[in-house]
Amino acid sequence: MDKFLHYLTLPWLIDGMLFTLQLTLYGFTGGLFLGVLLAALQLTRSRALTAIGRTYVVIYRGTPLILQLVFVFTALPHIGITLPPVAAGSVALAMNEAVFISEILRSGIKGVDPGQSLAGRALGLEPRKLMRRVIAPQAFRSMVPALGNEFISTMKNSALASVIAVPELTLRTQQLASSTFDYFSIYFATAVMYLALTAVLSIIQLLLEDALNLDRANRSLLSRLDFRRRTTTPTPVVTPVVPAGPQVERQEIGDTVLDIRDLHKAYGANQVLNGITMSARQGEVIALLGPSGSGKSTLLRTINHLESVDTGTIRIAGQTLGYDESGMPLPEGRIAKARIDAGVGMVFQHFNLFNHMTVRENIAAPLRWIQRLGKEEAAERADALLSQVGLADKADTLPHRLSGGQQQRVGIARALAARPRILLLDEPTSALDPELVAEVLGVIRGLAHHHGLTMIIATHQLRFALEVADRAVFMAGGVVVEEGSADQVINRPQDPATARFVNAMQLAAG
Amino acid sequence: MKNSRTALFAVLAGVVLAGCSSTTEAATTETPSEFADLAASPACTELRAENPDLAGKTLTNAINPYTPGYETINPENPSEYQGFDIDLGNALGACLGFKNDYLSVGFSELIPTVASGQADWIISNLYATEERAAGGVDFISYSKVFDGILVAKDNPKNITGIDTSLCGLTVALNKGYVEVPLVEAVGPECVATGLKAPTVSLFDSSADCTQAVLAGRADAYMNDINTVNAFVAEHPDELASAETVMLDYTIGIGVPQGDHQFRDAIQAALTEVQASGLQDELAAKWKLSENAVAAPTILSVG
Repeated sequence: MDKFLHYLTLPWLIDGMLFTLQLTLYGFTGGLFLGVLLAALQLTRSRALTAIGRTYVVIYRGTPLILQLVFVFTALPHIGITLPPVAAGSVALAMNEAVFISEILRSGIKGVDPGQSLAGRALGLEPRKLMRRVIAPQAFRSMVPALGNEFISTMKNSALASVIAVPELTLRTQQLASSTFDYFSIYFATAVMYLALTAVLSIIQLLLEDALNLDRANRSLLSRLDFRRRTTTPTPVVTPVVPAGPQVERQEIGDTVLDIRDLHKAYGANQVLNGITMSARQGEVIALLGPSGSGKSTLLRTINHLESVDTGTIRIAGQTLGYDESGMPLPEGRIAKARIDAGVGMVFQHFNLFNHMTVRENIAAPLRWIQRLGKEEAAERADALLSQVGLADKADTLPHRLSGGQQQRVGIARALAARPRILLLDEPTSALDPELVAEVLGVIRGLAHHHGLTMIIATHQLRFALEVADRAVFMAGGVVVEEGSADQVINRPQDPATARFVNAMQLAAG
Repeated sequence: MKNSRTALFAVLAGVVLAGCSSTTEAATTETPSEFADLAASPACTELRAENPDLAGKTLTNAINPYTPGYETINPENPSEYQGFDIDLGNALGACLGFKNDYLSVGFSELIPTVASGQADWIISNLYATEERAAGGVDFISYSKVFDGILVAKDNPKNITGIDTSLCGLTVALNKGYVEVPLVEAVGPECVATGLKAPTVSLFDSSADCTQAVLAGRADAYMNDINTVNAFVAEHPDELASAETVMLDYTIGIGVPQGDHQFRDAIQAALTEVQASGLQDELAAKWKLSENAVAAPTILSVG
């Protein structure tokens, strides 16, 4: 015990511990930089860059760290790069960690719901901003535990640097054990030192998780450290279905704003759109009907170029979106700009609110990022829209605390914030519990035929379509089977496919 | 809350900076006066005149400091190295006018470290073999090799040497040591007589090998007889030395292949150290009772 305490407090070993910490920090920080680069290489569209990234991963993941350390220390000098031990150890560790960190980054990024990216693109976010503002913050939260793990793993790996003369804890332990014969007391003291380091790193990880915890509200760190479970009392959801917006005079339908010609789109062998031609006029409300898989969602997504088309043209106010004059596809950054100019808003079946932001920020932040509004102006517009959809009191709430119906109303408010000329609604009530459908339809109803907004609504709600739509378009198998006034298509369908669909829907609705 | 977090990061940053400020490797242990007589000898004086570029320099000695008596850290002051090889290196330095610092690397990394220029030479109880020389160093011999066989007290398995008495047994050895092929070579003889070949268990340090014998995981451990005797002295109730075997090797100083001026200077200085009786004195000082001076011949394959 005496010897154990002697070694535990031996300044020389404590100094070795600092080398271990230093090596760990350099290795991990370097690994983080290289890892970001490596993940970026593998996530680009360029095959050559991806191949370079993959090759690096294969080599560094497939060879033992000890060989990599010796390589950096004793092989690089032969080509004129002589690194002192700590630098060589840090470089080798960083190059090794980069692989594992890049995989953590990739899985974090891939783990973010694709709907988040879709929503960001629909709003007109260019790829870099989308990554920085929407994807990365959410991915990072989910990566913290894995990165914490990797940090500790880096520390353990740093022990291998003992073979290349880095005077870290393991090397000093071995040296001491060889010179004193006090084998076990030294190793136990070292184990305690490693545990102390690990404990510090674990606490940092917990602090970071705490700081990034969106549900933290006002809980202090201390309340996190005492293990009593706190029950958060959920606030009862009382949402009166508010008729949306001030009642404005019904507006007349104007000129054609959207013109779609002979649109074809296939995913591999699956022909999804097979020659769609349709148009929409300013202020018109169109119900897009059709069975699942008929191509409704794909059609909506091609309108603002969230999906490219194979052949055919889409013109919004006379302009094509996503292609230059000669028909060549534009890079994503320029498409983002074109989307903003075209003025197309989109509402998604699964809402796709930005989960890491409050309700107000979901609306205000894109206005600041994209429309360059000032902070106050953006917040004011967000609050006004939230009142319009009856959610003024939820402005500071996180999306996942809202009911589906409330989330969708926020989704609609967000889509309206940039004052689009066309609003695309992709089955806006399909993911909702039946009792929540009415509040969302109420909001949409309030928008119809006001402000000159053109709306295309993919929906299965026939009664609603009858009520608000000027026109109904029935799609099946990637073509328009029948179109006409909503009354005509729904109540007096001409095509047997339309009739079958309408019957099935009415049966299901009871 | 925010302040406490900031404070924690500040502490962490401080820790890292403290680590940075102490990146020096173990300092040199030479005491200038210790080898003053040697340095003042006519031979050394002449050698310094012939090798002016060594004067005042600090050379980096690659060592694998896990062999008590030859080279370990000083447990009283762990930032120093001590042992016969350390003293011998300092004596040669005193004769030629240079000082030593040290790079402590894995045993298998000793030669690559010098071949890559990360260190200038090796004095680390390293046996001179042609295979090792082929890694990029020339050797200058200084000691003969006597190996001891460390076994459990009273030698219960009746081990008599590196021979068929090892059949079916487990032998602990240092990774990369010359004993490894010698023990492996016994295997076919065992098989020929219907016995099992010895199993070799490889470890990083002699302390690990000795622990294997103490824990009953290995039946024998072979290393330099003086090292073996030191472990027996430390555990007299549990360990014994079975046999002393003279191996057909010498212990050598490794210098970079091709640098003949440095090699020849070391050889000449070593000749003087041996002629003055200093090498025997050092062996006695470190209780290396089985140390026999070997003439400083050169082994080179380059």
